[in-house]
Amino acid sequence: MKTLIIGEIINNNLSSGTLEILGKAKSMELETQVITVGSDDTPTIGLNDTKQTYIKRSNSSLNFSKVASKITEIIKNEDIKLILGSSTYMCRDLISFISVDLNSSPISNVIDFDLHDGKISTVNSINGGESLYKAKINSDHSLLLIRPKAFDPAEVELNTDYETIDVDNSDIEVFDIYIEEKSGPQLEDSKVVISAGRGMVDKENLEMIETLATKLNAAIGGTRAIVDAGWMPYSQQVGQTGKTVKPDVYIACGISGATQHQVGMKDSKYVIAINKDEEAPIFQLADLGIVGDTLSVIPKLNDNL
Amino acid sequence: MKIAVCAKQIPDPANEVTYSDGIINRPDEQVLDDTDRYGIEVALQLKEKFDAEVTIISMGPAGTQKGLQQALQMGADKAIYVDDDSLKGSNSLKTANVLSELAKSLTADIVIFGTESTDGYSGTVPQQVSRFLDVECISYVKGLEVGDNITLTRQTVEGSEKVNMPEKCVISVTAGGVEPRYPNFKDIMAAKSKPIEQISLGDLNIVSEQNVEFLNVDTVESSKAGEKIIDEGEAYQEIVNKLRELKVI
Repeated sequence: MKTLIIGEIINNNLSSGTLEILGKAKSMELETQVITVGSDDTPTIGLNDTKQTYIKRSNSSLNFSKVASKITEIIKNEDIKLILGSSTYMCRDLISFISVDLNSSPISNVIDFDLHDGKISTVNSINGGESLYKAKINSDHSLLLIRPKAFDPAEVELNTDYETIDVDNSDIEVFDIYIEEKSGPQLEDSKVVISAGRGMVDKENLEMIETLATKLNAAIGGTRAIVDAGWMPYSQQVGQTGKTVKPDVYIACGISGATQHQVGMKDSKYVIAINKDEEAPIFQLADLGIVGDTLSVIPKLNDNL
Repeated sequence: MKIAVCAKQIPDPANEVTYSDGIINRPDEQVLDDTDRYGIEVALQLKEKFDAEVTIISMGPAGTQKGLQQALQMGADKAIYVDDDSLKGSNSLKTANVLSELAKSLTADIVIFGTESTDGYSGTVPQQVSRFLDVECISYVKGLEVGDNITLTRQTVEGSEKVNMPEKCVISVTAGGVEPRYPNFKDIMAAKSKPIEQISLGDLNIVSEQNVEFLNVDTVESSKAGEKIIDEGEAYQEIVNKLRELKVI
């Protein structure tokens, strides 16, 4: 099946999400090409054995609708049937636009897919990972948004050998681009993740989480509730509508463990949960559960590390 | 300025979601999706500055209309919705098709959404609606400032960026971007007399098909719950020991 992966760039390289999808496409022996969208000058994204096209856009214009039109044109010209992208801000925009062009509804949050008799079937995780929802796509095109960490990444050597296509700016100018300072380990790559929930009671109490994170060289995440409350930026949200993490150790502090949160962390290798409520669902996932007040356990932990 | 805001009625999130044939079971009484409160708040802030008319657009079983009432209580002027059995289990594209037709029927300039619904969470409908309407989509908006221009701050992977809102566009608002207002008693009473109108699906130009076929739902073997210790002041030591064993320290 002729397949297109919409690629993304992080740190001048292909993103881990892109490589994970490429890994899956290779294992299925799909006839794959990659179109990577970014605004870097000459990113190292060329692939030895897979066709790579770079759509270079200006980050001073919100022009993903124009990028999508370009990709739709290529899909139609080259008779591509399967279109894959990560569940990221950019790919969600692009695949949504393209889905209207191709009149084929995309499937979001896919954790696995397969090809049978020329049809794509997909697997979604629902109810916090307790159930798997399976569906089949009957339209001419199949568009999938894939959750991060669903597949093992392809092992590739990247080069700078690829065709570059420019796209026009839209009428919407982008200004005041702000890059958050990223200090310490990043959520997706860190071996230890400490997450905070409502049980931290007050934003000021996150200080003890930061202390613990420094001691354990851990990244910090949070539940939707505390992100909504403005205690943490959205980029640190772990869960269904946030990031997916798979660290060696996940420490859940004052998190009840709503299914929406579980989706983002349930594949962590070892889960430590601290919560006052003995009945909190997070304990169902915890390898080590501490029933107690996070606000008293964490400071003692900090003093003894 | 005419603003359409999407509001979805969903089963109370406090209850577990159940499915029949892959379709979410919807009780007669559904509530307003909290995600939509952020979009409604943005619409109301625009209304206060520009005397805009704010109409709630919605699709799905209307039931007791509690969720629509909640949207009106926040301060929207009226609501229109489509409730048709043939839309049960609609995929995101068909949903977007219906909602974009509702926005068109209102000749809305600005169409506002949350980023993804709490029950379906496909997170693609706002962008799809913008494509149907042939306007730009300003996605993942987390803040707005109203001055000479209306400036929207977008969430990006790396941080944020700003754009000025064009005269016609679709906006999706992230949770936490603005502080949704709580209606007071007067608002709640006032909402009761606001119009809620059902629109017939037959009056809309629907071009999308259902292209996704449900196969089955499998239950995953639930992961084992491990050791649980009641903290009597010394439980931190268990964590220290475990972190040592796992070679984190």
